[in-house]
Amino acid sequence: MMAGAAPILALDDAAVGYGREVLLRGLTLEVTAGDFLAIVGPNGGGKTTILRTLLGVLPPLAGARRQPRPLRVGYVPQRDHVDAYWPLTAAEVAVMGRYRLLGTGRRPGERDRAAVSAALARVGIEELADLPFRTLSGGQRQRTLIARALASEAELLALDEPTNGMDPAAELDAMDVLRDLHRGGGLAVVMVSHRLEAVANYARRLCFVDKDQGLFRVGPLEAMLTPDALGALYGRRVAVREEGGRRFVYPETEAR
Amino acid sequence: MIHTAWQDFLAAHEIWREPLIASLIAGALCGFLGVYVVLRRTVFVSAALTQLSTLGLIAALILEESLGVEMEHVGVQLLFALAFSVAGALLLGMALHGRRLPAESGVGTTYVLAGALVVLGANRLVHAAHDLNAMVFGNAVAVPLTDLLILAGVALACAIVHAVFAKELVFVSFDGETAAALGYRTGRWNALLFLTLGLAIPVTARALGALPVFAFLTIPAAAALLLASRLRTVFALATAIGVVAAAGGYLVSWFWQLPTGATMVVLAALFAVPGALLRRR
Repeated sequence: MMAGAAPILALDDAAVGYGREVLLRGLTLEVTAGDFLAIVGPNGGGKTTILRTLLGVLPPLAGARRQPRPLRVGYVPQRDHVDAYWPLTAAEVAVMGRYRLLGTGRRPGERDRAAVSAALARVGIEELADLPFRTLSGGQRQRTLIARALASEAELLALDEPTNGMDPAAELDAMDVLRDLHRGGGLAVVMVSHRLEAVANYARRLCFVDKDQGLFRVGPLEAMLTPDALGALYGRRVAVREEGGRRFVYPETEAR
Repeated sequence: MIHTAWQDFLAAHEIWREPLIASLIAGALCGFLGVYVVLRRTVFVSAALTQLSTLGLIAALILEESLGVEMEHVGVQLLFALAFSVAGALLLGMALHGRRLPAESGVGTTYVLAGALVVLGANRLVHAAHDLNAMVFGNAVAVPLTDLLILAGVALACAIVHAVFAKELVFVSFDGETAAALGYRTGRWNALLFLTLGLAIPVTARALGALPVFAFLTIPAAAALLLASRLRTVFALATAIGVVAAAGGYLVSWFWQLPTGATMVVLAALFAVPGALLRRR
């Protein structure tokens, strides 16, 4: 988070959950323009719930959510949440990212189609534009969903496990695209991942979450990639190694 | 002989004109809406809504008999059926987002509960029970002009809603989570979609019958999804199959003296055969 910058989204002492079931309480979190926040933790730990509450999809069960002004949001849901049964092409899925810009009742035009082509090219699947979404591989579908978020001219990109199902090379490519977009300036990125290693080289801030431990901790990347913080998250010793300018995070083998 | 039968048919145009037009409109409307019903995996919603519209009619008839209120006008009865169906559609639309139970459980409960209340209600009716079946399920052989006009009005309203808000309804149906994250009020858009279903089902059931409506909300869309790989084509094809199956079923039932609704259903099912054999990508 940029020091002193006004938040574009915030949770103030919020409780998050579904219905009357509270998963985590007392969450305070701010996202500013240009932020790159990764929410990390085990599967089922409450990461997606926090993201949804931050975006206003779920109401906080206590405390408050703040959004000082309207935001253009690009969103990448978990791939399994998107119904591949629909007979839509990759381009038809990606153009949905433009709908909010168009307004109610208006159809996409030439400018929107150009934006979609550019977004598909940015994630390396321009040639798949006219193929049915359902026939694409898991990784290709994921790239289509990222392209949809990019096509939205977003001020905030929110991504929920965006690299799930991708092979390592595709994952690196997708993360590099996010890094480049973020470096372009102004764009805030909030990303959920259960794989710390996927975000350790890109995020500026980390948020560790595990509802089973009641754990919620936010801080700058360097402060969070410490044995103490990682040990609290994973319940075992976790090592961070730097090699060739990249960070590698891995659990240490228990001594026998 | 065929020539004579065709001449007889044409000569009887005053008998079949309104029913055939009603069948065409109902087939088109159900075929189109069925694409949403099938893709959203809510095929039993139409069965539940038909039961609810029956319950609305029962309520109207009970009021008439017990309070002496005049309900004989078809418009008043249909209004009750529509009110129950629309209310049920909106409630089911909201219930489909629940996390505690699968959506089917809400739809199934609505169907059986409404069915049970229909039986209990019909049991209280003294005079009108024998008319109930015709009131609910209509008679595709004889459709009054009033029913045809109401059906045309509802179809036009649905067509306008779906033409103007096509992209919003598709987006919210395809990926409601992302739509919500982008700021769409998905509950309201779902309510609008289910409102069109709630309006369409009672009026088409009066024209075609409950079985054809259930079938036309499922089979044309399923056949179109097997044949086409673009959503726009699927909508067009499902609408066309609804029209052809309704009109064809009406004609076949006329010439071969078969039950109209059942003939329409069988004809609609035949359209699924080429799709099942060819399979789209």
